[in-house]
Amino acid sequence: MNDFLELVVGALASGCIYGLAALSYLLITRPTGVINFAVGEWSMLGAFGGFLLLTQLGLPYAAGMAVTLACMFAVGWLTERLTVRPLVERGAPPLAPILALLGMLVVFREIVSVAVGPDPQPMPPAFGFGRLELGLLAGSYQSFFIIAVALSVFAAVWFFFERTLAGKSFEAVAIDRRAAALMGINLGRVTALAFAASGVVAGLAGLLVAPNVSAHYLMGLPLAIQGFTALVIGGVGRVEGALLGGIILAFVEQLTVRYAPVPPGLAMGVPLVLLILFLLVRPTGLLRAKEARA
Amino acid sequence: MKRSIFTFTRSVLAAAAVGTAMMAMPALAQNTIKIGMITDKVGVAKAYAEPVAAGVSFAVKELNAKGGILGRQVELLVEDDQAKPDVSATVARKLVDAGAVFLLSVSLTPATQQAQSVTKESKTPHMTPSNSGDTLTTQVDNPNFWQTGPLGSTQIATLLSYAKNKNYKRVAIVGENSDLGQLTTRFFKAGLEKAGIEIVAEEIVPGGATTADPQMQKVRAANPDAMFMTGITTGPNLLILRSYRQLGLKTPVLANYNMSVPVYMTAAKGLIDGIVFVDAFDPAKPATMRFVEAYKKDTGVEPYNLIGYGYDGMMMVADAITRAGSTDKEKIRATMQATKSYKGVMGSADSAYGFADGKRTGFDTNGMVVRVYEGDKQGKVVHVGSK
Repeated sequence: MNDFLELVVGALASGCIYGLAALSYLLITRPTGVINFAVGEWSMLGAFGGFLLLTQLGLPYAAGMAVTLACMFAVGWLTERLTVRPLVERGAPPLAPILALLGMLVVFREIVSVAVGPDPQPMPPAFGFGRLELGLLAGSYQSFFIIAVALSVFAAVWFFFERTLAGKSFEAVAIDRRAAALMGINLGRVTALAFAASGVVAGLAGLLVAPNVSAHYLMGLPLAIQGFTALVIGGVGRVEGALLGGIILAFVEQLTVRYAPVPPGLAMGVPLVLLILFLLVRPTGLLRAKEARA
Repeated sequence: MKRSIFTFTRSVLAAAAVGTAMMAMPALAQNTIKIGMITDKVGVAKAYAEPVAAGVSFAVKELNAKGGILGRQVELLVEDDQAKPDVSATVARKLVDAGAVFLLSVSLTPATQQAQSVTKESKTPHMTPSNSGDTLTTQVDNPNFWQTGPLGSTQIATLLSYAKNKNYKRVAIVGENSDLGQLTTRFFKAGLEKAGIEIVAEEIVPGGATTADPQMQKVRAANPDAMFMTGITTGPNLLILRSYRQLGLKTPVLANYNMSVPVYMTAAKGLIDGIVFVDAFDPAKPATMRFVEAYKKDTGVEPYNLIGYGYDGMMMVADAITRAGSTDKEKIRATMQATKSYKGVMGSADSAYGFADGKRTGFDTNGMVVRVYEGDKQGKVVHVGSK
């Protein structure tokens, strides 16, 4: 029982990371229809931002996080302005921005690999390396920190979309771009802000996970796959779906490894089986997107 | 008129001079001995390929400073295979076509395996100075290929020799899912089973995982006498070490040679004290000390084991070509196969490279050492050999 409760904390923390990666996809996909597979690389940039500011320069944790996330806002914004918008303005087919962003994935990864080198770089946990016990629940300080930060972010994003006028304009664009434009919503600004916010969320996922996995130039792709899987499970259209999908994926991964009577090599395939099952049985994910009201 | 004739003559002479120079350039290039190096500059093996390649480059620099090989300068032709087997074979063909008389593979094991298809067909001598997979010289019958990295079977034999008096009966194996990681696990398992030691838990931490807690919980539940780490990629190994400490495990850890790479001293600070690891680098060996000094003087950077693998590999190639007395590939193949007792910078003080009859693995099976992390530093050699 103790093992199980210990695993719950670890799986929740991993699920929150996957959920943030899924949210990063969702923030762009929902209003624009573009799938940005470079979100993993944005997480990698966030992790290296943390390495530079917290490990190398020794900034206070909150300041280091704030500066990194501000930089990630700029990275997201600039990516949209420099790679996606020129294609859209020239009337490129819908696949073109997705391919351009795949190209950016390689650019981001190689810039870091050349600038920092191929070795993993350490990043300190927010509250040091230690173990917290809350009744029967136990886990590392960093696991609890990840859960607290991720839940706060999800709550804030949900509030933004559901309770603010600006958030409603994003939702309007997601439901019908043309109608939203006719209502006076600036599509260019919404798209740029969606990319910028996605950059911040992806960077945050990288910052939070880096103390566990270290900052490494190849860390992006697995996160991108896990985030995408979480998105498919939870549903492409709802903020809470991203979190739900991430948590389900993490629990399936970790409980299978721990308890399922399958050889260790086969346990790794279970999340992929889950992805295939969802695509076959429930391609919209667990939570459906909101539809336009008649 | 006189002036124009003079100008014309001068132009013809200048053109002739340029033409002669251009014709002489290929002649100069032909006079070098070309060695091809296939390395990974962007793929998953980059972290390991880069330092090994740096060792090869340093050896070439040293050789050329001393007059080259057979009085000819060495020209290193470098190609990037991105750790992809298909690309590796393609660039191997490119290097052979460019006139390389010997190829060095400094990449991922499957990529090196695939490049052999070209060197076998073109009868080009080919070596990997760092790959440790036991099957590289056995899966393809290629008499032109040699391997001088320490094999997985040698690593486990050395660790078991060190642990002989510890009397381990029940152990756990924790590895990861890269090609070489799985191969290393296979040979560690074979070594443990041969020694009659029961494996009570076998776990894999996949690349890209965010925690190794479930795997380490299973190890903790199995309560083994010791835990063997077989992973050869740093990411999963770091997760294993973090979970090991986080979950409060006290089981002794014995790790393969990946743990000898110095990156753990920075990336795994506070996690590695007391970890036993097998290494092919003895910093107290005189030849190694000389190499460290020379490399430091030239580059300003202190070398470590991976750089030494590349250096030894290139120097063995130079030795074989020198003994062959020509760049004829068949003669080089014969002299390389005949290599015996070649002393390099890698291996224990008494060890030497050599190829037994019918074998193409050259690292001394009794030449590895065991070291233990003291705090965050690699400690001295505490055990030598596999006997």
